[in-house]
Amino acid sequence: MIAKSGYRIGADVGGTFTDFLLQPALGRPRAVKVPTTPPDPTDGFFAGLAEMATGEGRSLGEFLAEVELIVHGTTITTNAVLTGDVARVGLLTTRGFRDALAMRRGIREAQYDNRYRAPEPLVPRWLRLPVTERVDATGAVVAPLDDRDVEDALARFAAVGVEAVAVCFLHAWANPAHEVTAARLATAALPGAYVTRSSAILPQIRFTERVSTTVLNAAVGPVLARYLERLTTRLALTGFRGTLLVMQSNGGVAAPATARAAAASTLLSGPAAAPTAGTAYAATHGLRDFLTVDMGGTSFDVCLVRDGAAMLTSEGRIGRYPFGLPMLAIHTIGAGGGSIAWIDDGGLLRVGPRSAGAAPGPACYGRGGSAPTCTDADLLLGLLDPAGFLGGRLRLDPGAARAAVEGLAARLGLGVEAAAAGIVEVIDANMAAGIRHVTVERGHDPRALPLVVAGGAGPVHAAGIAHELGITRILVPRDSSIFCAAGMLFADLRHDLVQTLVVPVDGLDADRLRGVCAALARDGHAALAGEGVPAARRALALACDVRYVGQYHEITVPLLAEEADAADLSGVAKRFHEAHDRLYGYALPDTPLELVNVRGVATGLVDKPRLPEAPAGGAARTLRRGRRRAWLAAERAFGEVDLYDGLGLGAGARLAGPALVELPLTTVVVPPEWRLETDRHGSFVLEPA
Amino acid sequence: MNAPDPVLASVLQRRLRAITQEMGLTLLRTTRSPILSEARDFVTGLYDAEGRILEQAEYIPILAFALAPACRAVIAAFGRDVHPGDVFLHNDVFSGGNQNNDVAVFRPVFHEGRLVAWAATKGHQADIGGAQAGGYNPRATEVWQEALRIPPLRVVERGQLRRDVWNLVLANVRLPIVAEDLEAQIGGTVVGERGVLELYRRHGAAALERHLEALFDAGERRMRSELRRIPDGTYRGESVVFYDGHHPGSRHRIVVTIAKRGSDIAFDYTGTDPQTVGFVNAPYASSFSAVILTLLMLVDPDLPHNEGILRPVRVHIPRGTILNAEFPAATTFGNTLAGPHSDAIFRALAPALPDRVSAGWNRMLGMTVTGRDPRRGRRYVDILFLALKGGSGAVRGTDGYDHIGLINTAGGLLAQDYEMLEVHTPHLLRRHEYLADSAGPGRWRGGLGVETEFEVHGEDVTGVVFGDGVDEEARAFGLFGGGPGALNSIELTLPDGTRVVPRSKDVVAIPRGTRFRQRAGGGGGFGDPRERPAELVAAEVRDGVLSRAAARRDYGVEVDAETFEVERVTGGRRP
Repeated sequence: MIAKSGYRIGADVGGTFTDFLLQPALGRPRAVKVPTTPPDPTDGFFAGLAEMATGEGRSLGEFLAEVELIVHGTTITTNAVLTGDVARVGLLTTRGFRDALAMRRGIREAQYDNRYRAPEPLVPRWLRLPVTERVDATGAVVAPLDDRDVEDALARFAAVGVEAVAVCFLHAWANPAHEVTAARLATAALPGAYVTRSSAILPQIRFTERVSTTVLNAAVGPVLARYLERLTTRLALTGFRGTLLVMQSNGGVAAPATARAAAASTLLSGPAAAPTAGTAYAATHGLRDFLTVDMGGTSFDVCLVRDGAAMLTSEGRIGRYPFGLPMLAIHTIGAGGGSIAWIDDGGLLRVGPRSAGAAPGPACYGRGGSAPTCTDADLLLGLLDPAGFLGGRLRLDPGAARAAVEGLAARLGLGVEAAAAGIVEVIDANMAAGIRHVTVERGHDPRALPLVVAGGAGPVHAAGIAHELGITRILVPRDSSIFCAAGMLFADLRHDLVQTLVVPVDGLDADRLRGVCAALARDGHAALAGEGVPAARRALALACDVRYVGQYHEITVPLLAEEADAADLSGVAKRFHEAHDRLYGYALPDTPLELVNVRGVATGLVDKPRLPEAPAGGAARTLRRGRRRAWLAAERAFGEVDLYDGLGLGAGARLAGPALVELPLTTVVVPPEWRLETDRHGSFVLEPA
Repeated sequence: MNAPDPVLASVLQRRLRAITQEMGLTLLRTTRSPILSEARDFVTGLYDAEGRILEQAEYIPILAFALAPACRAVIAAFGRDVHPGDVFLHNDVFSGGNQNNDVAVFRPVFHEGRLVAWAATKGHQADIGGAQAGGYNPRATEVWQEALRIPPLRVVERGQLRRDVWNLVLANVRLPIVAEDLEAQIGGTVVGERGVLELYRRHGAAALERHLEALFDAGERRMRSELRRIPDGTYRGESVVFYDGHHPGSRHRIVVTIAKRGSDIAFDYTGTDPQTVGFVNAPYASSFSAVILTLLMLVDPDLPHNEGILRPVRVHIPRGTILNAEFPAATTFGNTLAGPHSDAIFRALAPALPDRVSAGWNRMLGMTVTGRDPRRGRRYVDILFLALKGGSGAVRGTDGYDHIGLINTAGGLLAQDYEMLEVHTPHLLRRHEYLADSAGPGRWRGGLGVETEFEVHGEDVTGVVFGDGVDEEARAFGLFGGGPGALNSIELTLPDGTRVVPRSKDVVAIPRGTRFRQRAGGGGGFGDPRERPAELVAAEVRDGVLSRAAARRDYGVEVDAETFEVERVTGGRRP
């Protein structure tokens, strides 16, 4: 199943565009971008395949027959949740606790807003049915499962056409027996229904997160299953004989059957490839610690990569629903090219989170937008070429941008250009705050971390963000506009496993720990074997969630294989104290520790494509297109800057700021006293001169 | 002096907010007591050298607007005798504190040898001494029976812990986790100091301080612009506090007269009843916080929270009243008075602001338990937050919020996770679900309350009942034709089968094996229930949060018991 020759394709089906990276066995990769087709995204997917086939001079059938691997990222499950267009789910839960899903521990996110509404629960109360059963925190059965209750509830589900059944009982992480029985009865009573139980998807303590995650899985399970069924059938009929893999939220890939069973693991399928792509590009510079940032039209995504691995969180949210499966800790804020600038009642300038989006878009698009946006400000500051936007497909109207910003400028008592500079400064500060959230607030110093930049607006603003944070290195991959599609070809198969085991670290029952570790290893190997990964290409890493006795929050630290075999947690303890000190500024080495969860990450290694070499030549001097008046943020003044044709810059090309490097889909801003160098793969590296 | 740059001011506002949030995150991750780390009963803030609010992260608002007064008390007490590396503690309710258990930590921030700011954290400690573990002592008639008083107190001097002072404080506290939680709070102020110094380094003192003034001015302008939307006039509201814990049947009035002129607003509590003999009293800072948090619910929720927004607001509470008790009164119940207090404000402003006021919120009834966990052989304290969170009042256009809890937390209080609760506390939960028919009926219904049952497996367990919402008149009130929410109740079934219904302010022994049952009521409804769409009523019957009988009685909607279709609608105007 691991590709050795033939084509490989990374395919990222996003909200607006479907991006592809086609990697031939020999030769340079090719990027393709087609519009996404919302009613049935497989249409857009096949339109992209047809375009690639044509480009290769083959019929679609001939082309697909030579494709060995397609790695597919999709927003289909994310969109289903965000729009509420999910499967009808029935929830079986412990009697007395049917409302945990809706309550979300009684939190109101907007404290002073009496009009704030809680998110609509994904299962209405009349389909959240209690059954008699109870297990305590030690796994002991307090009340046996009443099968009759289960059967009655399932009959009600069947009567109203429930498509998916979620089973979540109290403390099922400690003893799954009741859930196993209920799930078996559900499968028998509702043939064809998607059945999921919490002890299979997330055997981890904390009921609120577990029930929410289990229900999310049930809600998107049938949606993903139908989509994958359609896609695989259509691919097979068209002649595809290779391997299809699906991108997961944890940054790894999985076979369709695995993804289908844990459908919720695809809830961050698209953006999760960005850090993987960043890792591939950054590795060529020997970088293992960096930030990936992706600034598009409406949002800004940031993810921290440490020691070559993107940071994960198991306390995430999808929309406003708690979500406990490990997913890349991608922090999103409402900042993009379309973000709208406004003045609040106190007279302060604000930008976003409201966005003009793609329609009507920024005022300068000339599509009816009149609100001043970030892109309008960029244009007025001379950072964008009105004739060169989106490869020249969209001509920007500086007059419209000026008209949009004028009113705002008058109210601020500033000139139009100063107001535009203010818009850029404020949005850069907002994005910098987003970066602080994933760095400073988690004990990492952003100044030491290079930015790896993606998205159309990313390279325009990267220098401003770097200035705000004191960052001194920026890497802009040449294919940054289809960054995620490229990243998919670098992703390994990956399965995250967890088992809660709440015990004191001192006087730990060695056999219990060994048993839990062995079970995680067994499950991980089984999942990979099912996907055809040979034993030699499998790896299993263990980790523990640990806290000081009495604390309510844990830190995840690695557990080495030999430590697990010896049931020796002294290394874990040492790592925990160090991490606590780094994160929170102190450690208490004499305070006893408590183990909460044991985690396993099963990885199936895939062959990675080699990054293509950029052609040599193309010295900067010969590619200077001229000069333009543009805003220099650091000097708070306009100045003359050099313009370069980015496509022509070959490996080793160097140039000095202030400069603008123009590419079809973006512009790289090089500030004064910085320099840019093209690396051997054609990516741009920016550093202070 | 140059005019301030509106762009830099905006950037600074965002940075200050990020710093207070980072301080909050540090506390959330490092504190031990579930009251802090699970329920988030704390606040963080930054203040300028004079103690003016720069920014706050208000997890629990009732603590928040009492930080600045306490900061000014520290400034008044130490004057110029404040040095880099100092740390001060404070909880004294007679010098700016809001509640004895809410202990504040202040760290002065120095830039180039000059005091420029204060970083502060305040959190509800699991214990702070006094006669009753956990702090709620209904029998107290003086502050010393409630808690250890901590007036402005230097515990760290120029970076050196004053071990003797620290030991003195902790020698008067029952639980060792309090020391760890205070250390975590001190850690939070370090994070704040670091953030402020970074701003000074980046912008320089002169420019930074000029722009901080600009932020105050901007905050003031925004609040004034909001206040102008309230029609000028004088508005009067009342509500009643029931039972002082010493005289069954006693009633105590809160009277507020709100004068709104132009962009200024004044709250005058002349006519409010005298302070009580027991702990049903508020110190000024707690009452002031209650005024501000209620006002913030009536204006744009997106206002910045700095000193500027307070400038147009005047609050006068006569000394010696239940909302501004005089030394040495007991006052631990004071935060809870935010419930009846906000009722009076909403009632007063209902005619002027019908689109913004909220119907009554459930007045919280709660219980603090202390005992021994036989599984670990250790003492435990828990405020049963998940059981006491009732519903909020409806507003025009929106139903009340379900299971939100008392108004002084404004929805910031997290209920415990069931499984973590059972790991940490020797109680076995049997039920925690919405309480049917608890929401006040209305065109927009009140928020739902909850019903909780558990078995107590702890030893030597004592429960202290505190709160309100048990008397008929204390129901969360409806507005503009909406009905009131359900009442609160606590009931214990002892192992021998005896039923005990403790009153608020009772201290009860709870034998192992006792079954605890609590109902937290719902919020008040808004508008005529007969105008609520019948399909919504039927849907709530299907969901089991509204009985068919209540649908018929309150909404005039007959719902089929099998199909849950609307069978018949009587009376009223349906849109």
